[in-house]
Amino acid sequence: MAHGFRGASNRSGARLSNFGVELEVHIASLRRYARALLRNRTDAEDLVQEALTRAVARADSFKAGTNLRAWLFTILHNVHVNQVRSKAARPDEVDVDSVESRLVTPARQEERVEAREMMRAIDDLPEEQRKVLLLVALEGLKYDEVAELLGVPIGTVMSRLSRAREAVRAKLANEGSTTLRRVK
Amino acid sequence: MMNARRVTEDELHAYVDGQLDGDRRLAVERWLADDPDALRRVEDYRAQTVLLHEVFDSVLREPLSDPSQDLTDKLKGRLAFNDNRPVWHARPWVRMAAAVALVVAGATGGYFGRGAPAPVNVAQQQQAVPPQQQQNLKAFAEEATQAHRFYTSDERFQVEMGADNQNELNNWLSQRVGRDVFGPDLSRVGYRLIGGRSMPINRGAGAQYMYANDQNKRITLFVAPQSGQETSFSFAQNGDVATFYWVEGSLAYALIGRLSKEELLQVSQAVYNDVRSRPNPPPAPPQVQPPAPQQQQPPAPPQGQPPQQPGQPEPHRDQRTQGQPPEQNGVQPVSDTHPGKGS
Repeated sequence: MAHGFRGASNRSGARLSNFGVELEVHIASLRRYARALLRNRTDAEDLVQEALTRAVARADSFKAGTNLRAWLFTILHNVHVNQVRSKAARPDEVDVDSVESRLVTPARQEERVEAREMMRAIDDLPEEQRKVLLLVALEGLKYDEVAELLGVPIGTVMSRLSRAREAVRAKLANEGSTTLRRVK
Repeated sequence: MMNARRVTEDELHAYVDGQLDGDRRLAVERWLADDPDALRRVEDYRAQTVLLHEVFDSVLREPLSDPSQDLTDKLKGRLAFNDNRPVWHARPWVRMAAAVALVVAGATGGYFGRGAPAPVNVAQQQQAVPPQQQQNLKAFAEEATQAHRFYTSDERFQVEMGADNQNELNNWLSQRVGRDVFGPDLSRVGYRLIGGRSMPINRGAGAQYMYANDQNKRITLFVAPQSGQETSFSFAQNGDVATFYWVEGSLAYALIGRLSKEELLQVSQAVYNDVRSRPNPPPAPPQVQPPAPQQQQPPAPPQGQPPQQPGQPEPHRDQRTQGQPPEQNGVQPVSDTHPGKGS
């Protein structure tokens, strides 16, 4: 069912031999994922910056010819897990700022009602499900890539994905957006 | 029969995500045809994906913070050592090959000068542009072509910033590039500006402008700082992707598209005209419209293209060609045909 671990990067890798372009594209992808995950510009930028710092420090651990995107996402994931952990160790630091800015995060483009509902539905997901849905649906990672980077069996990825999609679907239906665009 | 196997929940998702192989994809489609509920789910899941992109793709257009940009550059350098696909022009054999190609092209190739037809000593012209600059320029054109291939192949990453507000776009890119750059008006040749992106290049940053015509055919104009003297149009063909590149003022330009050489030349001319008609042009002859590039001699035909016949209609006959050509300032090899790099 799922394709090989290196499928995705090989496909894009074949198209370009310009390493810089490839890296830039992956970093753009990291930033989008971080924003979608944290829903806060500053936090997301911090997360990406921290991940890049670590990537620079660990550049030697990247094996030539392997999946660069998966390597970067794995680093970002680990950094995020550590950040969450250290925040949990300091419970006094209530994240008022981020909660507030989450409520007022300005959107650049005119948002359709459905887009707003989508964001709300994503926010309401348990984080483990949110991650899987974003990595698969937004970033287009392969299931086995997601399993490897989250460190869970692929079956777990699939069940989280399924639950996440059904939860979002129920939420969007409840909000009365029966006009949800059909995609051909 | 494999296809008779029941479709699983996992396969339904893999179908939505494009991660299902051909056989099973057909099986899912057959199943969906008979199961309206499942079909509805598939459609809703796809709609979710579309919404996610709608909400979050704007992040792709936001400029990197300075620290992140620095880290990106650093990482690029660190990983380049590690990667088995180094920047192409860093490989010694490519440098060698490029040097050889220059000599060959100089000996056999024609070129497009910007001036009126005039006999030109190719060897002399080649001397006019130092080999190092020629090499840099070729590297630049190659990089621009690769960026074109990449960004026109995946529509998720087409532009970082749209062209709704061209001033904003030009200001932003000028800031990134460190020079005054702008997206020329190509409406007269049927192309409209879609947007642009900044791109790290060998040294510093370049700007990529993307255009489309009514058939949604895409071309890109890549602009980057370039020291050295101005050059006339050079041409390169990589597979089905054609590139014209040149230096004007302190900027190098590369125009890239899946077009015929003649079509692309016409657009290059429009770019050139618009660049020259901007305020603060470099010293130039008084004509607003520069003379059309003309073929000086039949170029060595790129592979897969018929050689141009002397009697063939010239695409630019109708343009005004009177007036003095800009001083002839060096000529690039024209037909450095490469086998298409990975496409």
